[in-house]
Amino acid sequence: MFQFCRFTATRAVMALVTLVIVSLIVFSLMELVPGDCAERYLAYKNTQGSAITVADVAAERARLGLDQPFLTRWATWLSGAFRGDFGESCILRVNIAQLLGDKFWLSLWICLGALTLAYAIAIPVGIISAASRNAALNNSLRIVSYLGLAMPNFLLALMVMLVSTVYFGETLTGLFSPEYKEAPWSWGKFVDLLKHAWLPIFILGWSATAFALQTVRALMSDEIGKLYVTAAAARGIYGRRLLWRYPARHALGPIVNSLGFDLNRIFNELPIVALILTLTEAGALLLEALARSNDQQLAGAIIFLLTASIVTLNFFTDILLAAIDPRVRNSILR
Amino acid sequence: MSLIDVKNLSVQFKTDEGLITAVEDVSFSLAPGEVLGLVGESGSGKSVTAKSMMKLNPPNAIYAPECRIDLHLDSGPVDVMALKRPRDMEIVRGGAISMIFQEPMASFAPAITIGKQMVEQLLIHTDLNKKQAKDLSIEMLDRVGILEPATRFNQYAFELSGGMRQRAMIAMALSTKPKLLIADEPTTALDVTIQAQVLDLMKDLVAEFGMGIVFITHDLSVVAQTADRVAVMYLGRIMESGPVREVIRHPAHAYTRGLLNALPKLDDLDAPLTPIPGDIPSPLERPSGCVFHPRNPELKPGSRYETERPPLTEVSPGHFAAIFPEDVPGQP
Repeated sequence: MFQFCRFTATRAVMALVTLVIVSLIVFSLMELVPGDCAERYLAYKNTQGSAITVADVAAERARLGLDQPFLTRWATWLSGAFRGDFGESCILRVNIAQLLGDKFWLSLWICLGALTLAYAIAIPVGIISAASRNAALNNSLRIVSYLGLAMPNFLLALMVMLVSTVYFGETLTGLFSPEYKEAPWSWGKFVDLLKHAWLPIFILGWSATAFALQTVRALMSDEIGKLYVTAAAARGIYGRRLLWRYPARHALGPIVNSLGFDLNRIFNELPIVALILTLTEAGALLLEALARSNDQQLAGAIIFLLTASIVTLNFFTDILLAAIDPRVRNSILR
Repeated sequence: MSLIDVKNLSVQFKTDEGLITAVEDVSFSLAPGEVLGLVGESGSGKSVTAKSMMKLNPPNAIYAPECRIDLHLDSGPVDVMALKRPRDMEIVRGGAISMIFQEPMASFAPAITIGKQMVEQLLIHTDLNKKQAKDLSIEMLDRVGILEPATRFNQYAFELSGGMRQRAMIAMALSTKPKLLIADEPTTALDVTIQAQVLDLMKDLVAEFGMGIVFITHDLSVVAQTADRVAVMYLGRIMESGPVREVIRHPAHAYTRGLLNALPKLDDLDAPLTPIPGDIPSPLERPSGCVFHPRNPELKPGSRYETERPPLTEVSPGHFAAIFPEDVPGQP
């Protein structure tokens, strides 16, 4: 227990340090974009017909604090970021926290939903298929998971939309019905969200499941062939007890380890699915900020939130890992 | 009364390349308190033979229909080959027979404490409750010379040294008081000094518990110290078997002589080592006749051994070799 607490504390400190380093990288990337926020905004104003002078640019710089040294600006940004305040968008001149609103959380929950779906299916199915010698079962699973790996998400999304529109006359797009779109959060809005969110979760979960299934199966096949499983069988342990207590339990560690990686992958796939299903979520906003408006403040905020989510998830999976595997508990301080 | 009789054991493995013969027509018996050494190079079928006694071979193993493995227990005889379901094999696996493996690290589950694995086995095979099982496990750890057994009980395999792990493995294997212990190269992965300690420990425990041991090794010198009888295997067949001193002093089969000549001799360091010529043939190209004939330097071309399989011929009381009767040493 002492070891476990020490592990958790050390790991938490490491997560914080990681976050600070990540923030430095994200902030530096934001700075690397040619031009700064003041120039960008004023250039935008210029296209709208206002005449801009050099003095205007300098005044705007001073207002945004851009004349401060790099480290001071980073510290200000970081302390804001930890309080959820990312400053103003360069172009839109609104508070980023307001602009993002619930969008980031919606994206995160959709991704986590897809991740949960994927592993809820992949863990039992992968374990059973690795343990079974039923060729028909294994081959059909292989076909299904190759389908999942080979078919791009947007194609699946388009197909689902096509079928639903042509045969059911329903467009399964968006995340909310019109009456809830601007409404404050309520039970009704939540239920409405669930009614819409299952589709992106299913579409993202489809390929994620295929991916996870391959991982689980491979890890499990590895464990089953190990000597300690034979040794346990030689002691008279058999059947389900042998399967779950020995190879399955030991394969779980690396499976848990792959969760953080998978969350990132799913988040990367979200924007294109969101585009097709016209979801209002943060992935689409990130694309917009990066590719169209060059809004470094907004893009930086989203990237930081995403990495923070991954660091947090990794923190929790590592804690879980330490609970499962004594070797992990021991390893951190060496 | 023997403890276990293995008769005509043949094991083949179904692989993508075809059927591979791992063990062919192996028979032996073992009395209580007796130590039988199974010696051979890797691929000689010694491990497959041992695992067959608990039907532990992987699912693609095919046992020939005529083979029988009879285990004589206090509760009556058991034909191991007739046990089909894992549930029925419980009395054999970990009950009547225990097995220790070459890699003590790999044979403990890494994320379960040693104690939990010991108790689990005792709960399956004995009527003890958890508390009694724990006490017995700690007592066994103490018995095999592990210091602070109560602390070790709650530790994981990776927290113990190699020799300590193998001692813990022996403690676990013996805790259910099996009639037969199968030791598959139990000392190969250990340092020589630890090896001697573990061998001594095993000898003591055999005397104390009165069980039979099948000791698998590729090391003839280990067998010479440990075993009462030895069976030398090559490509799945027994080449020679008999009392250990008799076989080592008067080897009747060319393969046994080859193995002995390949051992370094501490009393004559200048003597050249004579390896057996050639390599173990691919399992898919099993030689005809005597399986050793392609590597036997003592045979002239066109000998009977190339086409006919030599029977196990008694060369002296209790000492058999796979040679034709006219080749028995000392014959006119």
